[in-house]
Amino acid sequence: MFDDKRPEELAYVGRSSDRPDTMEKLTGEATYVSDMRLPGMLHAQVKKSPHARARIVRIDTGKAAAMPGVRAIITGDEVDVHIGLYIVDKYVLAKGEVRHYGEAVAAVAADSLEEARAAADAIEVEYEVLPPVLHHMDALKPDAPLVHPDLGSYGYVAAAFTPMPGTNIANHTKLRKGDVDKGFAEAAYIVEREYDCPSVQHVPMETHVAIVQWGKGDRVSIWTSAQSPFTVRNLFCHAFGLAHAQVRVQIPYVGGGFGGKAGIGVEPLCAVLSRKAGGRPVKFQATREEEFSLLPCRSALTYRIKTGVSAEGKIVAQQMTMYWDSGAYADYAVNVTRASGYSASGPYEIPNAWVDAYTIYTNKPYGTAYRGFGHVEFHWAVERHMELVAQAIGMDPLLFRLKNALRPGSKTLTGETIQKNTGNVVACIEDAARRIHYGDLTPEEKERQKQTGWKIGKGVAALHKAPAMPPFTATAVILKMNEDGSVLVNLALTDYGQGTYTSIRQIVAERLGFPPKKIRVAFENDTDRDPYDWQTVASKGLVLSGNAAILAAEDLLKNAYDVAAQALHANPRDLAHDGERVFLRHHPDKGVSFSSMAVGLALPNGNGIGGPLIGVGRYIAQGLSNLNKETGEGTPALDWTFGAHGMIVEVNEESGEYRVLKVASVYDVGRAINPDMVRGQAIGGMMQGLGTATCEGYIYDKDGRLLNPSFTDNKIPTAKDLPLEVECAVVETPQIDGPYGARGVGEHSMISVAPALGNAIQKATGAELTHMPMRFEDVWRALENREPIDNWITKSPVGSCRSAPEARPKE
Amino acid sequence: MLHPFRYLAPQSAQELAAMLADHASDGKILAGGTDLIPNIRNGVFKPSVVIDVKKLPDASSLRLGADGLSLGPAVTVNDILRSKDARERYPVLCACAHELASHQVRNRATVAGNVVNASPCSDMAPALLCLDAVAVIGSGTGQRELPFREFFTGVKKTALKPGEWLDRIVVPASSAGARGSYLKLKRIAGHDLGIVGVLFVRLGGSLRFGVSSAAPTPVLVDTVTAKDGPDQAAATVLGSVSPISDVRGTKEYRQHMIGVFVRRLLAEVK
Repeated sequence: MFDDKRPEELAYVGRSSDRPDTMEKLTGEATYVSDMRLPGMLHAQVKKSPHARARIVRIDTGKAAAMPGVRAIITGDEVDVHIGLYIVDKYVLAKGEVRHYGEAVAAVAADSLEEARAAADAIEVEYEVLPPVLHHMDALKPDAPLVHPDLGSYGYVAAAFTPMPGTNIANHTKLRKGDVDKGFAEAAYIVEREYDCPSVQHVPMETHVAIVQWGKGDRVSIWTSAQSPFTVRNLFCHAFGLAHAQVRVQIPYVGGGFGGKAGIGVEPLCAVLSRKAGGRPVKFQATREEEFSLLPCRSALTYRIKTGVSAEGKIVAQQMTMYWDSGAYADYAVNVTRASGYSASGPYEIPNAWVDAYTIYTNKPYGTAYRGFGHVEFHWAVERHMELVAQAIGMDPLLFRLKNALRPGSKTLTGETIQKNTGNVVACIEDAARRIHYGDLTPEEKERQKQTGWKIGKGVAALHKAPAMPPFTATAVILKMNEDGSVLVNLALTDYGQGTYTSIRQIVAERLGFPPKKIRVAFENDTDRDPYDWQTVASKGLVLSGNAAILAAEDLLKNAYDVAAQALHANPRDLAHDGERVFLRHHPDKGVSFSSMAVGLALPNGNGIGGPLIGVGRYIAQGLSNLNKETGEGTPALDWTFGAHGMIVEVNEESGEYRVLKVASVYDVGRAINPDMVRGQAIGGMMQGLGTATCEGYIYDKDGRLLNPSFTDNKIPTAKDLPLEVECAVVETPQIDGPYGARGVGEHSMISVAPALGNAIQKATGAELTHMPMRFEDVWRALENREPIDNWITKSPVGSCRSAPEARPKE
Repeated sequence: MLHPFRYLAPQSAQELAAMLADHASDGKILAGGTDLIPNIRNGVFKPSVVIDVKKLPDASSLRLGADGLSLGPAVTVNDILRSKDARERYPVLCACAHELASHQVRNRATVAGNVVNASPCSDMAPALLCLDAVAVIGSGTGQRELPFREFFTGVKKTALKPGEWLDRIVVPASSAGARGSYLKLKRIAGHDLGIVGVLFVRLGGSLRFGVSSAAPTPVLVDTVTAKDGPDQAAATVLGSVSPISDVRGTKEYRQHMIGVFVRRLLAEVK
């Protein structure tokens, strides 16, 4: 590992440390794009489609253009700009056809928000309404309308994706391992089930917002609430054909992202308006309702799993078919599909595996990255399936998991061999189980059950995830020493709440041997000032940027030692340092302070040596490869973070109501750089996971209109929904190439919370749930053996839109 | 604000009556604003005049008198929860108040506002119905009194006529000491509209159920007798409601849960 040290040798890593942003955030001083106003700034509003699919017959902007304060109006016809990262399928504004409810068809910039809103209302759009394709399984039928008839002409990353022109399939990811036919032939049991979950919203506290100024000479300045300054710049330059040096992206404090602010968002819309308004800056901030339908969501999933098991309970073959609902645009969903495809089995060894993962276009708001990047959704299926398979073969589900869990020597779906240092999922599962007294009820629990009449059940679910990123993902960190010997850290990895900067500061402190208070991590990101980082996604930030930070600290020290060696007339090998100075090891009283060297050392006679002290650290993921597009073989994983949740729930069998009594979460984080940050991520992610498990989800009417586009009917949990007891723990199997042994854990806490709950509910009552979320009514229906309500697309306000299961694509 | 309106704050009933007469079609009364302002923001209402009743004399008065507990139109839901008189003599009122929205919303939301909207999911209506509360209705020509059991006339419709306003709510002295409990089925433990809500009140020998979110209006059921068993009681309550299916739940689950809640409440409130 980078900077290999035993825990007891570490001064700052592995301990609590204050967040550098606490004071600004608690006092309200932290400035977000939402707070910003620039001189001459205009406000933008968009005209949105009330239809899921329609031809735009005519847009009349005449009335709107004559309204007071209006400076620019733009429609899709005027903007020939396609945007995308993996598959370039989206225009800035709908052109010719609208593809989902809430899609932008025109935009206005005006002096005030009120004037912009009035003008947007006054834009007249005539539509020819077309029959939409709403359910992703319906979209596979041969006679389904095509959401993108021009799919064959779109650009895409051919090394990773396979669109199927002439269908609604934006990507087909394949994985073939071993011989599944032979495996199934040898199986003593075969269990096949289907699971699904709906689209959900990220709901960051700060909605999407950007200010863009298209300046003279096509120099563009962007201030945005985004996760990845360099990806915003890169995609923006590609879309508009601008040189990278012409575009500057700045990101101040960000009020949450959860994946929804990965890639590019509302920046191009503001840009075209600013250009048309003669270069005045234009601000657009989404309302909460727009956050639900104009901006992207998490894809829905239908996952079919067929498992062959030996008489001894070993999985011998598994066929896995994922149907991902990308909605109207698939730029990010294709990569969710790919990343989920190669992890599709969960943390279990499957000797013979066959995966088909499809990304399917529908006429609904589109999917994007969301904490877990597909793993929350498919682990719901995998970890409920493990429970149901165990039940079908008469084995305890915990034992069944342990028997099939990845261990050193196991091969993953892509053929990677698990090493002793890869991480220990067995330890996570066992510890989570122990923490809830899995297997039986304590005397207190029995007593509680007697008093309340509610049944108590306990469940366990495991998880794994590797960062979904290009195999050559890179980053850099620059350290600059200030005149007083303190250090400024510049990096373009964005801290939008995770706490990564706290850990980066500890890593820099540790490697420099400086107290953390002497180190400042600059919060605002700026592509004109910061070194490159690909994106703040995938739980890769701590590992890649942490390594770059160590290298930057070593570089800074080397540069300081070089100056000190000259000043002290010593060989650099004879030097040592503390937090204040570099000195001779054999004469510690002879030294030179960092502050005197910080901006160049002045010798007594006035001569100068050195120069401002800077440290540069560059790091690129090592040894990863593209995957074979036919077999899925390759090395995609920077690191695997394993984990498990244990859940105790009490359920009222008469009503389906339930309460979560305890969650115990255990992750193999390699090394906890900051146990408080790990705990913060663990509890936050667990609650977000519980939200999607218990109540969240998009509900559409039969025409594809979103029926619950706000917090009125799209609830998310609050502090009152916290389980009565929460335990978080770590297993520490150091990551050999991670900073001080660490690996990422930002997304993992959300994964497998839902199946742990589902498993516990089933243990308590026998209710067999295969749909998310698990509302009280869903539990009641399962207990009563009633048809589940599948109202995520409704024919009437409530109803069923179960699609024909025969509509499966042929291999 | 995305919709401009004039703000008027009458200082007397006469002023209010005159303003309502002038703005019968384009005026809206503002109390806490927790319903009105979101409705304006969402374009549901586009009033050109908003008439604030908080500046009326005694608008915020919460008084215990010989006739009972009297609430002015600006009395907030948290005022009820903070009132010793309400807590000690009308605990049922507090049980419902506590289930309404969140603490922050309850700081603004008024009891009167919660009932004049006549939302089927009003949380205060079941309490006012079960406690025989009376609406004191003001107008330019004087006051009239109407029991709340005659107040709700349809979905979001009340017996208030043009030019009238809810001037005061009186919870009668005869209802003091009533015991009860309110069960509200929600999607999350915090701030939510009810999927269904059932209030059960024992007042003297009389049994009352107030049901929310299960019919076009909040419903009072006072035909259950002490001799009825739990199943009979549930059947009687269900006979008086007509729940629908929507994004919050299906008709059949609402019906089932009303029965569950009736049985649970009969066992809980002895």
